[in-house]
Amino acid sequence: MNRIILVGKPNSGKSLLFNQLTGLRQKVANFPGVTVELKTGQFADYEVVDFPGAYSLKTLSKDEEIAIEKLHAAMQDEKTTVIACILDATRLERSLTFGLQVQALAKKQNKALVFVLNMVDELQSFDHHIDEKQLSEQLGSPVYAISAKTLLGINELKDGLKHIASHAHDYLPLKGTDSSLDVLKQSRDLAQQFAIQADLVLKKQNRIDSFLLNSVFGGLAFLVIMFLLFQSIFTWAAPIMDAVEFAIGWLAQKITTSMEPGILPDFINGALFGGLGSFLVFVPQIMVLTLVIGLLEDSGYLARAALICHKPLSYFGLSGRSFIPYLSGHACAIPAILSARTIESPRKRLITMMTIPLMSCSARLPVYALLIAVLIPEKSYLGGLVNLQGIAFFALYMFGILMALMVSLVVNKFKANDDKLDDMPFILELPAYRLPHWKPLFQKVLNSGKHFVRRAAPIIFMVTIAIWILGYFPQSDEGLQASWLGQLGQWIEPVFEPLGLDWRYGIAIIMSFLAREVFVGALGTLFGIEGADENISGLAANIQADGLTFGAGMGLLLFYVVALQCVATVATLKAETGSRKIAWGLFVAYGLLAYLLAFVTVRLF
Amino acid sequence: MTLWDMATKQTGRIVDLSQELGTHISRRLREMGFEEGQLITCIRRSPLQGPLVVQIRDSVYSLEQSVARNIKLQII
Ligand SMILES: Nc1nc2c(ncn2[C@@H]2O[C@H](COP(=O)(O)OP(=O)(O)O)[C@@H](O)[C@H]2O)c(=O)[nH]1
Repeated sequence: MNRIILVGKPNSGKSLLFNQLTGLRQKVANFPGVTVELKTGQFADYEVVDFPGAYSLKTLSKDEEIAIEKLHAAMQDEKTTVIACILDATRLERSLTFGLQVQALAKKQNKALVFVLNMVDELQSFDHHIDEKQLSEQLGSPVYAISAKTLLGINELKDGLKHIASHAHDYLPLKGTDSSLDVLKQSRDLAQQFAIQADLVLKKQNRIDSFLLNSVFGGLAFLVIMFLLFQSIFTWAAPIMDAVEFAIGWLAQKITTSMEPGILPDFINGALFGGLGSFLVFVPQIMVLTLVIGLLEDSGYLARAALICHKPLSYFGLSGRSFIPYLSGHACAIPAILSARTIESPRKRLITMMTIPLMSCSARLPVYALLIAVLIPEKSYLGGLVNLQGIAFFALYMFGILMALMVSLVVNKFKANDDKLDDMPFILELPAYRLPHWKPLFQKVLNSGKHFVRRAAPIIFMVTIAIWILGYFPQSDEGLQASWLGQLGQWIEPVFEPLGLDWRYGIAIIMSFLAREVFVGALGTLFGIEGADENISGLAANIQADGLTFGAGMGLLLFYVVALQCVATVATLKAETGSRKIAWGLFVAYGLLAYLLAFVTVRLF
Repeated sequence: MTLWDMATKQTGRIVDLSQELGTHISRRLREMGFEEGQLITCIRRSPLQGPLVVQIRDSVYSLEQSVARNIKLQII
């Protein structure tokens, strides 16, 4: 299939145009170890490829280098017939700087080029008009003025693209200069002639910024927005998560009741629905998180959030852009590690990815809930405003964040002279505030769910089956205790003894390497309580009666904050850092650190 | 003086990008509009020596100290 490629400066509306041209079916190709992501879709008889937004063909970092390399490769490819370069009409000069570089490249490679002048609806609201014919004459390539949002001029663009693609030879760029000085001068001259006055366009954005970046109100607004985001992860996602859980349980029952009792239904119930189900429950939460972050990103606020956080985070060797990955890490580490792709400096991105697993992801929630119910009395002060258990929850979250910052500090010191990770300064464009469009958002949300399942499912599936087999065989009346897993638990009891924990906790901890929340269910089984997930208070009472000491319990809690008990996260770390050593090294290091913390805690109390 | 010394609402003309930025970052800055001779306005300073916000040509950027103090300018 012949190909049309989309290029343009960031925030020029490229994603939206891509979504308007192609339908719902999209493919995303990732390249391991770097942030480069190529989206592919179909428009008429053509394959459309969306390249990452760029300011220049001259690269600064390895990620940009790979993106531009791919662009060069695509330009040389025979199948590529048309290059569509998106220009933001409200920032014509900056868009042209990149646009003219692309034009020069297209000329060199003998490819047809068309400029798409986007955002003309905004120009119209300022009563400004760009004469596309004249602009086209001066540029020596066709220009289509459109609005990807109101769809103004989109039909002309579609017809034009088809026509140009089938008569590519008539649309090779006539002009195009290689000299960077000429490019700068030419974009300035063209902007002088055609562009709207900058102050007019920037007035609204600067007015909103004078509130949202204000030292007092801006900080408050930031906290409120983050609070709402946090809420959304837990409250908005909760009903959907319950629904998914219910659906899986219902399905499991439907399937297994019609079967003869035996290994097969046990396997389907325990390994398939139990293990995989507990992981699918997190998909809605990840999608809600992606939606909210996508809203912030497309509206333009994310750049401001990064700006506000940059200074405080830089004390720890992190960037303002580390903030969003940290925040998403409280839902699940996997999408959080992926979202670290937006961090400009390779070194800061690495440190961010390495510390994300310390954020208290929601798989830890059931574990926290159980142990807090066991250890902390349910007392309220100030007329119910302050709740002791609530404070304990908050303290655990804070402890995770604090650990992450500490580790960042240490890693930063260690890697200080690592040349490969040459540092990039923080230069961030503050885009205009715009109303997000549902189409790219919808696409993003869908992709996040698909991505998560595809990344995590295979490995979780394998571990589930392994643990299920170990826990199921050999069969006897004594249940889990006599199984291979139980034997293993007793065998490794000496490891957990210094933490004040017996073999039952040992097994539950080992089992939770599959997914942390399995801890509660496993402990429930060992204490002889069915359905422990729903009945945390019953299990908590049992554990209390069983005599778990306060110190051992606290140690166990801290262990769960720090330990990297998630194979899917390790796999994602490996893919994103491109290093097996880092991924498994972290697994071991956080495990040892967690153990050490628990060890010390038992002795303190 | 440098971009980092600017106060809010001040406007200056860029005189020079320091060698210390290195050729790659200087080139990128020029492509983003930070060219010698261009007018630049400081829109906002952040507390605690955080990044500053400037308007140059048709865009608004936020720059941290390490970059801003290497952009020399003349107040007008
Ligand atoms: N008013 C208006 N907004 C647009 C138009 N095209 C895109 N946007 C919005 O501009 C923002 C950035 O667009 P996006 O597609 O994410 O830009 P990208 O970074 O180039 O992919 C989003 O909020 C879009 O909804 C347009 O033609 N008119």
